[in-house]
Amino acid sequence: MSNLAVSTVLTRPGMDQDAQQRLELRSVAPDFAELYCAHSRQIYYLCLRVLGDHALAEDATHDVFLKAWRHRAEFRAESSWRTWLYRIAINHCKNIRRAWSLRHIQPAADDALVANASVDSSSPLHVLELKELGERIQKTLDQLPAEYKLLLLLVADDQLSYEQIAALTDQTIDAVRGKLHRARKAFAIEFQKTA
Amino acid sequence: MNQHTKKLEQQQKQQTTETKLTEQKSAAREFSSVEEMLRFDAAQTQVPSSIEVRLAESVQKELAARKARPWWKKLFG
Repeated sequence: MSNLAVSTVLTRPGMDQDAQQRLELRSVAPDFAELYCAHSRQIYYLCLRVLGDHALAEDATHDVFLKAWRHRAEFRAESSWRTWLYRIAINHCKNIRRAWSLRHIQPAADDALVANASVDSSSPLHVLELKELGERIQKTLDQLPAEYKLLLLLVADDQLSYEQIAALTDQTIDAVRGKLHRARKAFAIEFQKTA
Repeated sequence: MNQHTKKLEQQQKQQTTETKLTEQKSAAREFSSVEEMLRFDAAQTQVPSSIEVRLAESVQKELAARKARPWWKKLFG
């Protein structure tokens, strides 16, 4: 990740002025651009679903990667780049949500209600209209406790193991498994309501 | 002639209904787990290109600021 070279932006004939003036990360920091390409989708997705707002997610993703660039020398090889970026993103989103929750009251699914519900979280989830899927997922996640939401988003990433999720959320693997079971159930209940 | 037209209309209607049903079927989807659904949603989510542009600008600014720092600051932080 060292050797981050600075190079001039190439302008191509036929490009509009805006496009010519637009900087490319690849030309500013090639190695870092590779890192961005490999992980930006997952980081943006986490920010989007945690914050529930496209503009906020855009700002957060930018800030997360900028922090990563500033502190890239502190990265230790014992964790993966993905988990390191997730850690920055989780803390960043937590700070944003903390500031936000001071001004708003946040609804959350009742744990007792989830525990007593007869919904089987292992049963398939049917979606009739894929166009509305993102909206329904957001509505569902917004009804869940922040911890459940985060665990579901992390476990959905194929690259993360239970061990890494436990480390990212500062708890044991058994606690993660238990909470995930309840989180899946809560999601299934809330998702049905959005139909 | 009239009968032929009616038959054609009926055929067309049937075809339209069938097409609509096929479209609905292709739009509908079943996910075996929450994770699978979220994975699918993540794959469908486009990362706005403006983030990369902003990031490039921010990184370049930082690099420029670092270059502009006097030698003694670079040495002693």
